[in-house]
Amino acid sequence: MTRRTPPSTQGTGAPLRPAIAAKAPKTGLTRRDLLRLGPAAAAAVAAGCSPRAPLDSGHVGIGGAIVGASHQTGHRLREGGLPEPRTTRDVGVVILGGGMAGLSAAWKLAKSGFDDFALLELEADAGGNARWGQNEVSAYPWGAHYLPVPPVEAPAVRELLDEMGLVQAYGPDDEPIYDPRHLCHAPQERVFIDGQWREGLSARDLLDPEGTGGVAVLAEFEAQVRAYQNYRDAQGRRAFALPVAESTTAAEILALDDMSMRDYFDRAGWSSERLRWYVDYCCRDDYGCTLETTSAWAGWHYFCSRPINGEYLTWPEGNGRIVRHLMDRVGDHVRAGMLVYRLRSTSGDDNGSSAGVEADVLDTQTDTPVRYRARRAIYALPRFTAGHVIEGYPPSDPGANAFTYCPWMVANLTVDRLPDGAAWDNVLYDSPSLGYVVATHQNLRVTPGPSVLTYYRPLSIPNPEVARAWMLEQRWDDWVSMIFADLAQAHPEIESLVRHIDVMLWGHAMIRPVPGFVWGEARRRAVDPHGAIRFAHSDMSGISLFEEAQYHGVRAAEAVMDDLGHAHQSSL
Amino acid sequence: MSVFTIATCGLIYELLAGTIASYLLGDSVTQFSTIIGVYLFAMGVGSYLSRFFQRDLITRFIEIEILVGVIGGISSPVLFFAFGQIDAFRVVLYGWVTATGVLVGLEIPFLIRILEDQFPLRDLVSKVLSLDYLGALAASLLFPLWLVPQVGLMRSSFVFGVLNVLVAVWTCHLFSRQHRRPWLTAQAYVALVLLFVGAVFSDDLMERSERQLYEDPVILSRSSPYQRIVLTQKEGEVRLFLNGDLQFSSLDEYRYHEALVHPGLAAVAAPRRALVLGGGDGMAVREILKDDRVEQITLVDLDPMMTEIFAEHDGFAALNDYALQAPRVELVTADAFIWLEDQAASYDFIVVDFPDPSNYSLGKLYTTTFYQRLAAHLNPGGLLAIQSTSPLVSRQAFWCIVETVRATGLHAAPYHASVPSFGEWGFIVASRAPFRVPERFPDGLRFLTPAVARSLFEFPPDMASVPVEVNHLNNQILVHYHRDGWDQYVRTPLATE
Repeated sequence: MTRRTPPSTQGTGAPLRPAIAAKAPKTGLTRRDLLRLGPAAAAAVAAGCSPRAPLDSGHVGIGGAIVGASHQTGHRLREGGLPEPRTTRDVGVVILGGGMAGLSAAWKLAKSGFDDFALLELEADAGGNARWGQNEVSAYPWGAHYLPVPPVEAPAVRELLDEMGLVQAYGPDDEPIYDPRHLCHAPQERVFIDGQWREGLSARDLLDPEGTGGVAVLAEFEAQVRAYQNYRDAQGRRAFALPVAESTTAAEILALDDMSMRDYFDRAGWSSERLRWYVDYCCRDDYGCTLETTSAWAGWHYFCSRPINGEYLTWPEGNGRIVRHLMDRVGDHVRAGMLVYRLRSTSGDDNGSSAGVEADVLDTQTDTPVRYRARRAIYALPRFTAGHVIEGYPPSDPGANAFTYCPWMVANLTVDRLPDGAAWDNVLYDSPSLGYVVATHQNLRVTPGPSVLTYYRPLSIPNPEVARAWMLEQRWDDWVSMIFADLAQAHPEIESLVRHIDVMLWGHAMIRPVPGFVWGEARRRAVDPHGAIRFAHSDMSGISLFEEAQYHGVRAAEAVMDDLGHAHQSSL
Repeated sequence: MSVFTIATCGLIYELLAGTIASYLLGDSVTQFSTIIGVYLFAMGVGSYLSRFFQRDLITRFIEIEILVGVIGGISSPVLFFAFGQIDAFRVVLYGWVTATGVLVGLEIPFLIRILEDQFPLRDLVSKVLSLDYLGALAASLLFPLWLVPQVGLMRSSFVFGVLNVLVAVWTCHLFSRQHRRPWLTAQAYVALVLLFVGAVFSDDLMERSERQLYEDPVILSRSSPYQRIVLTQKEGEVRLFLNGDLQFSSLDEYRYHEALVHPGLAAVAAPRRALVLGGGDGMAVREILKDDRVEQITLVDLDPMMTEIFAEHDGFAALNDYALQAPRVELVTADAFIWLEDQAASYDFIVVDFPDPSNYSLGKLYTTTFYQRLAAHLNPGGLLAIQSTSPLVSRQAFWCIVETVRATGLHAAPYHASVPSFGEWGFIVASRAPFRVPERFPDGLRFLTPAVARSLFEFPPDMASVPVEVNHLNNQILVHYHRDGWDQYVRTPLATE
């Protein structure tokens, strides 16, 4: 889940540790396997008939478990049959969902002096994709783990970072100067390729061995990046902006959404294997999608929406640091363990009261249903749940199934010491994983010591349903074997370093910006209110980024305050 | 089976030699390429020589296997020892590679001739060569994936020596019906036992060979969780090495430590509280103690083993005049960056004596963030003195530290001193007000006088300021400058001592 600057801007390319080339086989499910196997075999795999040898002995001396997300609780939504509540609570605004969108909506309400609201979260901890964990060694992320320094188009993000005390000063151009302790320290990235680690993750370095052919393609690719970065339409809007809502709607740019990134490469005649890997890697990293399944619009958005040579803010717990800050501000309003199973927009005529909403919620701690009555609701849950929860939604169906999600496996490995020369982000070329990031990277200690490695594996095969089913079949042992097989390519000693591995499975980790989705009707209409219900989620941007979630949260909060006549100053 | 084993062993010896050569001499591409070339050529010589052996091929083959086993098996220890003791290490290296290569080159022709009566030539060549190449594949995979990380260079060499000799033993038994060779068998078993013992004690050997890397007799060698501390002594000269890098020689360290401490300390109007970061050897503390105005000194070092050696061990505490036992001195074991964060105290004089910024974790101690934090612990009118690597060897690194200090808003006065065992060394005095070289120093200095001190602030053209970037936590450009400077220095023969 890392976003990078364009390829030419990073890395020294100096080989750090010459080693003899060694390539281990991939293990586990890759998209190529499934493409080759076809649907029948894929279903068999999903049903548990895995071709891998079972590992009954397990991993002796290594602790850990599959932790996290309440799949079972969430699935009660689909089963229905939840009881009618007997108790009712009245509140001005009810926010459903405590991910970044819901927390940002709460933040904006609280900041504007609007305190009559409740935020209902299903999990025990709020934070959504930015949740984090903590053990005796370090805090560590379970998902999003950094935030790029925001561009000028994202004033709400800047406002938040300033409030968090991360801005040391403002420069003469009024640009914020961030506290260097929280900007990602060097060395930021490295990639294991051709049997050795290379510092930096730059397409230019990767392309070296391909000779002049690859370099020529790269030059064309980079020229296109610059052209899109410099693009402004008649209204001065960028081709690819953050938030997405600030982007141009010019036809020639939106047309990119009709093709995949791979189509774009094919049409441009860019055949370089390594450049394709690099862009595919970036797509998997930010969207969980491959070159084939990412829309070219989303693909270019990755490279062109932020300034060249951008920096990242990061913390041991990743974006959990932002969650902690937001919880400091609005934690009193957050109710955890609350499953929303029915939401209804009520018209004002019934018995003289004004229009509002009724949210029926199961308090999973006491297993009792509660009805929240509010004047407005902000629906900040992933959009695929809306059809199960909101009565009469969507009004007319422009493609209820348009919202699809990539599942992810994230593992946190507690290690006795770091592998040699570890950077912040450590990527393995041609691996189904995205490599790992080091939770203790920002630590200023000189002494080596134990650390936590956060290992990311998007299940990027074209059919997310199959991937999800397969994912839920895997045992902890299976994941650990896959992780070791993958990392052993670069770290033969990895097993001896690890003392604990926790695994988290994210069934619906990220919205997939497949071709046609970002600028399709379903996504564009997702922002329309439904009666007294406003919507907020990064799903509504088609790409799963903090900036988008925050934008929609703040926007929904401001719209609700406008509706209710509560004065406020816009953050957008 | 024999063919497979000897092919594997053959390639392993070659890879071992290449790895050891890269390890000891550096530049892995050149080392691997020349070793492979010489080895293959020697194999060719061996193959050519095989024609001169006519009688009793089986006996010759067994002898060769034992010889290869012994020579290949002890190649790692021999090369490690040779590097420490012999000037012409390359002669030994290539001699050894040639010998192994010639013997390995004899193996396959012998085998083919031994077996030529038993199989038609077509089958024989196909079988022998295919197994030969398969063995090479096994070796090339085993070596990086298992042997180097798990078994170690020293033990790998013995283990494959044992395998080679086992081939000899097996051949003895296989052909024992035709002809008994009790003498040869005995030889093989002796070789086997010796190599086996070598494999078992190879960790010990590794340590002994390490001692050979130091010129002088090692008088103390300890591993702490942070570093390997080695002290050597010869004719009254004591040298301290941390992880193989020279930290001081007792013959000239006074030049380094007087230069580090006194220009800054003497310039402070009222230095009551002093702080030393790094410098667990106590030499900087010894210098500060010469100034009677200082009432309290806090020494913060990462490694308690260092301060223990230099505070309590009689022989070594004498080197710092028992400074670490002085009542004015307080010892703290901590990581400086973290320790500073939790500290409220401020100081009149701070000495920063860290190892050179040769890696990213040390590089953090030379960043704007670190100097800002230091400045926050500096009393008004206080001064910082910073060891700043060699402005001659790594000019960019030195001036990068100067610019980094300046970027935090402090005044930086760079200077340098000649320390024969190190070469030309650089320092910085940093302060809130512009710095003036002091006119008075404490009594008892052997190197500094006011006139000498003034001269240290002059830079000749070969060390003069160069344009550099500022070192931040998020670029750590200093580590690159430092690496470039020292790499180049090591490669240029003129510059080496």
